[in-house]
Amino acid sequence: MHDLDPLILARLQFAFTISFHIIFPTISIGLALFLAIVEALWLKTGDLVYRQIYRFWLNIFAMSFGIGVVTGIVMSFQFGLTFAKFAQLAGPVIGPLIGYEALTAFFLEAGFLGIMLFGESRVGPKLHFFATCMVALGTTISTAWILAANSWMQTPAGVAWDHGRLIVTDWWRVIDNPSWSVRLPHMLLAAYLTAAFLVSGVSAWYLLRGRETTFARRTLSLGMAAACILIAAQVFVGDHVGTTLVKYQPAKLQAAEGWWDKTTPSPTPYLWIIVPDQAGQRNRFQMGTPYFGSIWLTRSLHGTIGGLRNTPVDQQPRMVLVFYSFKIMLALGMTMFTIAVISLWLRWHGRLYSARWFLRTLVVMTPSGVVATLGGWYMAEIGRQPFVITGMMRTADAVSPVPAATLLSTLIAFVCVYAVFFGAFLIFTLRLIRRGPVGLPPHALPSGSLKRDLRPEIAGVQPYLSGTE
Amino acid sequence: MDLPLLSALFLMFALTMYVMLDGFDLGVGVLLLPQRDQQVRNRMVDAIAPTWDGNETWLIMAALTLLAGFPLAYGILVPAFYIPVVLMLLSLGLRGVSFEFRHNSATSRRRWDFVFAGGSLIAAWAQGLVVGGLIQGVDTDLDSFGGSPLDAFSPFCLLAGVTVVAGYATLGVGWLRLKGEDATRAFARRHQRWLPLAFLGMTIITGAIAISIQPNLAVSWRDHRIALSCCLIAFAACGLGIAWLAGRDDVDDRIGFGLALAMMLSGVVALGLSFFPYVIPFRITLWQAASAASTQEFLLIGALVVTPVVLAYSAFAYKVFRGRTPAEGWY
Repeated sequence: MHDLDPLILARLQFAFTISFHIIFPTISIGLALFLAIVEALWLKTGDLVYRQIYRFWLNIFAMSFGIGVVTGIVMSFQFGLTFAKFAQLAGPVIGPLIGYEALTAFFLEAGFLGIMLFGESRVGPKLHFFATCMVALGTTISTAWILAANSWMQTPAGVAWDHGRLIVTDWWRVIDNPSWSVRLPHMLLAAYLTAAFLVSGVSAWYLLRGRETTFARRTLSLGMAAACILIAAQVFVGDHVGTTLVKYQPAKLQAAEGWWDKTTPSPTPYLWIIVPDQAGQRNRFQMGTPYFGSIWLTRSLHGTIGGLRNTPVDQQPRMVLVFYSFKIMLALGMTMFTIAVISLWLRWHGRLYSARWFLRTLVVMTPSGVVATLGGWYMAEIGRQPFVITGMMRTADAVSPVPAATLLSTLIAFVCVYAVFFGAFLIFTLRLIRRGPVGLPPHALPSGSLKRDLRPEIAGVQPYLSGTE
Repeated sequence: MDLPLLSALFLMFALTMYVMLDGFDLGVGVLLLPQRDQQVRNRMVDAIAPTWDGNETWLIMAALTLLAGFPLAYGILVPAFYIPVVLMLLSLGLRGVSFEFRHNSATSRRRWDFVFAGGSLIAAWAQGLVVGGLIQGVDTDLDSFGGSPLDAFSPFCLLAGVTVVAGYATLGVGWLRLKGEDATRAFARRHQRWLPLAFLGMTIITGAIAISIQPNLAVSWRDHRIALSCCLIAFAACGLGIAWLAGRDDVDDRIGFGLALAMMLSGVVALGLSFFPYVIPFRITLWQAASAASTQEFLLIGALVVTPVVLAYSAFAYKVFRGRTPAEGWY
């Protein structure tokens, strides 16, 4: 096993555990806000459909939150397991940021999650709503801190070198580093969009089958309305993220746009498909839309941009990975935008719940938010390579002194255990969706119970159901 | 002001909170193994379901305090305990998702209960491996770990792992007796008679071997002999007290659990004192491993301001779910 490269294995293990992890916070950040809104609507209007929506999504939220927690604990050790040298250099900078995340967000979420899931009959509706809001607030605060830590790795600021160590000179500049204020809203919007398309997709599936129509129409209406606002905001914020890249991480953007030339031809086409040759610093094949690159990237008909050859070879990221990660995110974002526009048109004509082709598209788009978010993160993280902290530390110098064989065996162990998590999550979620909110009494139970109704196999033996069915 | 010392105290505080709180959660998980009755198992899991997440967060807090306050030590210790840490993380993960998955399934619930119990057992045992590894010493090579990933699997470490399992199970029965009714409580009562004695005995054996394989420990114990004697007397007294009270029904169940917490606390304090002032025992002191003052200050301000708030609403969460777990569960 001596020919295995610890660097590759460490990167694979970190990438796998963090990619898997981010799926679940993305879902739960979005669903937490959705649940808070729905519970507020229920309290305000007393309309029982909102309560049904809350109950239905609470269980799926709980599962994704649970997986997010346990895979998140892994991340707090993963810095040391795979990149101990990075932890020793950057621990004094990002350690307190993530420490504050635990103090101000993890405990908040954990403290109120129990009440949100199990406590309604014990605390009453107002306090229960407060608990839901605290969980949603916790997920937002958590995003702010972790984005501060990651953005600092992208665009470090507020630190000085001192005998080979990093010393923080200005904490506010560490947190409000050049990319944090654009990447934070970008990630929050991504999470909200993920939830919007998740709930809309599931509702569309019910409408296509003519099931749970009241429940599904209300959810779809909420989800698509949210999607319209969110995607408009995301286009705007995404553009600002790009502007920040031009200034602080040009190599990432050069790789993401797929050009090698120091100056692109005028007018510049917008590239969609490339087969890059990293060693030859050229594309073997490329295909794009004429003029579109100039128009979009320079806001002029004949403007040009710089390609990856502007960056020294030993500081270039792998173009093929960055390019396609970005294009996947971009293509999904554009699809979401189109769907949002169509939804407005259909809503205007009263066909939002009946246009079957549209509903089918929404079903396909159910996981689109997760995929787009992963694409964005791959672009961000691979685009920063070969650095782990831009300009300050190379990833190759950050690896833990752990034998390759050990890294490989734990990578396999993580893959196996996470496959169990993912499989079980999918099976239970699909089962809950197939079962649907039907069978629930349309009114609140005297006990205030929220979750009992949703336990699929057991629901039949519930006293109130056996009495009424 | 001695900032690294304050950070080390906060680290010890977070670790102690973790060991006491998640200790009883893990202990309840382990106790699912000898329990065959599905109804009682449901009650056992219900007794910890609303609050386990917060308890486990103290582990993250401790890890991040080590990363921020003592990055040198974090970068040595985590690779040194690479395999036990991964074992612990995977087990905690399997156990954590089992809460939701067992709840969502009736047909496969037994299987998820087994995963839950096995995950709790291995997580507890892996934490014990780390304790054992710290006592026997970690090989360092300048700023890096210099030993082998299998160092933490010496016979002594395996034994320390079992001791920690016994300790968590002692906490677990205390909690179950407090929260359970009827069969659950009777089950807890039965095991409460022998578990604290087993924990006490295992600790004495582990301690005796520890002193023979780690000469620095004897030096350290001489330096702190008064404080350590107090801890050990308290530890033994609590263990004997729990076992003695376990058979009596005229005593408040809270006393048994309180004594278990006190027993664990005195054990953790004794261990901390034996290592002081080292963060990597007998090699690197906490001042050598500490990060710069700007980091310590920032971290400590957060810790001092926010921790009281965290403790306040965590206590509120416990208060909401006070009393015995309802026979039909929380749902």
